[in-house]
Amino acid sequence: MPIIELKEVRKVYPLGKVEVHAVKGVSFAIERGEFISIAGPSGSGKTTILNMIGLIDSPSSGEVEIDGKTTSGLSDKELTRFRHEILGFIFQSFNLIPVLNVWENIEFPLLLGKTRISPQEKKGWIDWLIEEVGLTEWKTHKPNELSGGQRQRVAIARALVTKPQIVLADEPTANLDSATGEQIIELMKKINRELDTTFIFSTHDAKIVEIADHIIRLRDGLVTENQRRTEEGIIPCP
Amino acid sequence: MNTILPKIALRNLARQKKRSFLLGGAIAFGIMIVTLINGFAGAFIENVSENFAYLMAGHVFIQGSEKTDSGRRLHVIRDGSLIVEAVEKTALPYSFATKSSEVAAMIIFEGKSIRQNLTGLDIANSTFLKERLVLKQGSWEQSMAPDALILSEKVAGKLNVLPGDRVTASFQTITGQNNVADFTVVAISVDASIIGSVMTYVNLDYLNAFLGMKPGEYMSLGFMLPNLKDASEFSTALYESMKNLGMGLFERSAQDDSGSATPFQALMRNQNKETWEGVKYRVFTIDDVLSQAKQIVLALDSSSLIILLVLFAIVMIGITNTFRMVMYERIREIGTMRAVGVQRREVRSILLALVAMGGLSLIDFGMDSPAFLIMKNGHLSFFLPPARALFNILVISLLTILAAYFPARAAAKMTPADALRTMK
Repeated sequence: MPIIELKEVRKVYPLGKVEVHAVKGVSFAIERGEFISIAGPSGSGKTTILNMIGLIDSPSSGEVEIDGKTTSGLSDKELTRFRHEILGFIFQSFNLIPVLNVWENIEFPLLLGKTRISPQEKKGWIDWLIEEVGLTEWKTHKPNELSGGQRQRVAIARALVTKPQIVLADEPTANLDSATGEQIIELMKKINRELDTTFIFSTHDAKIVEIADHIIRLRDGLVTENQRRTEEGIIPCP
Repeated sequence: MNTILPKIALRNLARQKKRSFLLGGAIAFGIMIVTLINGFAGAFIENVSENFAYLMAGHVFIQGSEKTDSGRRLHVIRDGSLIVEAVEKTALPYSFATKSSEVAAMIIFEGKSIRQNLTGLDIANSTFLKERLVLKQGSWEQSMAPDALILSEKVAGKLNVLPGDRVTASFQTITGQNNVADFTVVAISVDASIIGSVMTYVNLDYLNAFLGMKPGEYMSLGFMLPNLKDASEFSTALYESMKNLGMGLFERSAQDDSGSATPFQALMRNQNKETWEGVKYRVFTIDDVLSQAKQIVLALDSSSLIILLVLFAIVMIGITNTFRMVMYERIREIGTMRAVGVQRREVRSILLALVAMGGLSLIDFGMDSPAFLIMKNGHLSFFLPPARALFNILVISLLTILAAYFPARAAAKMTPADALRTMK
């Protein structure tokens, strides 16, 4: 069973007096543990699709199913809980909380919701994540004391702290130089392998797209290409 | 709500120190003005009541009045024994009772004259007077002399008298005859207040003799109570006790049909309409006399409430605008929080916690600062009833939170995608 399935999803935004059709009927499925790239030029609908998969925006029509569960009709409270338990987010502009240090920013999602873990377990897990993203020496620093690459590493650790099944990254390398961007994608790929977390990232960087093992290409709100990279080669998805 | 959300609110408050200070400063200024008005109004009535109580030698008074065949009223208590019996029957405590007579007189010295109220008291045994009056010149020992006179330094300055000087007082007896009496200035007191400077103290028996009163007679009997607040209860009990003894009494009423401004005026006007035989008594309290002052305080209180509302209408607009700005600046942060699992009500709480922590601490500063300023001076009195202070705090807290509530609700209601999309 796919972990994510989009069925004829459309999204229309009102923009002043006109309507913008950002997504024009998109369908695809993503399997558990995949490392997927949603690629396409600006305005192709990448962010809109990620927002709808991430349940921070709702489709105008069509259906988004996550882990076999239909998400339309869920209340805001249920959607928030769903996001907290199943999803992790990495943003283009890092979006860290400026008044919290590295450790606190990573800890933040663990303090929300009803699930509680013991302080020792929490400390061990956060310290492991900080080490994994290479920020052990920076854990007491505030976001404004970090470089762009370091901030994105914090964002990756924050996205993983609740052990989500899916991590969504909206152009995670857009604000980074190409070398740092590649490192970030490599880090995401490493964690994807280690934790079997499904990673979906959007990008318009052709070099980064190739690292993914499932590529969905968009243009003008429509899927133009949907293919998996396997040992046998590139296979188009149905 | 977990501890991280208030922690974020507090750190954000500290992060924008200048803006937090200006916003809180506006709230603090508003509450400071209202606290000052309330405090002075409260102190005004307390001080006026206490000062008058000491100058008039009591909190509750009994005055006697006789009406002659010609219709003239004589202010006199001929026999106080029934009053003493009535007081004993109430079994209510009082600190001391003072017999007094009073007359409006012209004091003359070497061609200079000034109008004063001559208050006749047993000066030698008036401990309250000795506690209240601070002598600038002269001594209490000399006040034992029958013709002793104590006046204030302002009056002494106008007449240019010194202790030992002899002055003449011209006044009318209780039956309306013009009379004069000589007095010896034995002491000059420090001016405690404007009211104090119009009071000149002489010995009761000496004054009574010139007023045409017999030994043992006097005009008024004042009871100083342990607490000013007991005046109403004491006067009511005393009135009932005197009534039960069959003593003639003027009705005590708050208002009469002539539209008198104070209960005391109503009492005086009623007695003008009536005719009676023998001595008829009126019982009144310092509050009856000072009810006009209380009306001033009420007006001040009402004004302060209007000022409070106007100030807070202005401050609320300021808070709302500032908060809209805060929301706009933090919109992406709000979007991120919502995306990672913060519920709407928690977003609202975090924003309201921000204003609550900043606003309420400065409300406290606004309450404390006038008290500190006034207390430092020492000479000015400041009294803010705790209930009033609590009411002010509640009103301002509610208005502050209300001002921040709507922007906070709007921010909380935004979808995470809209919040994240908003460009700053």
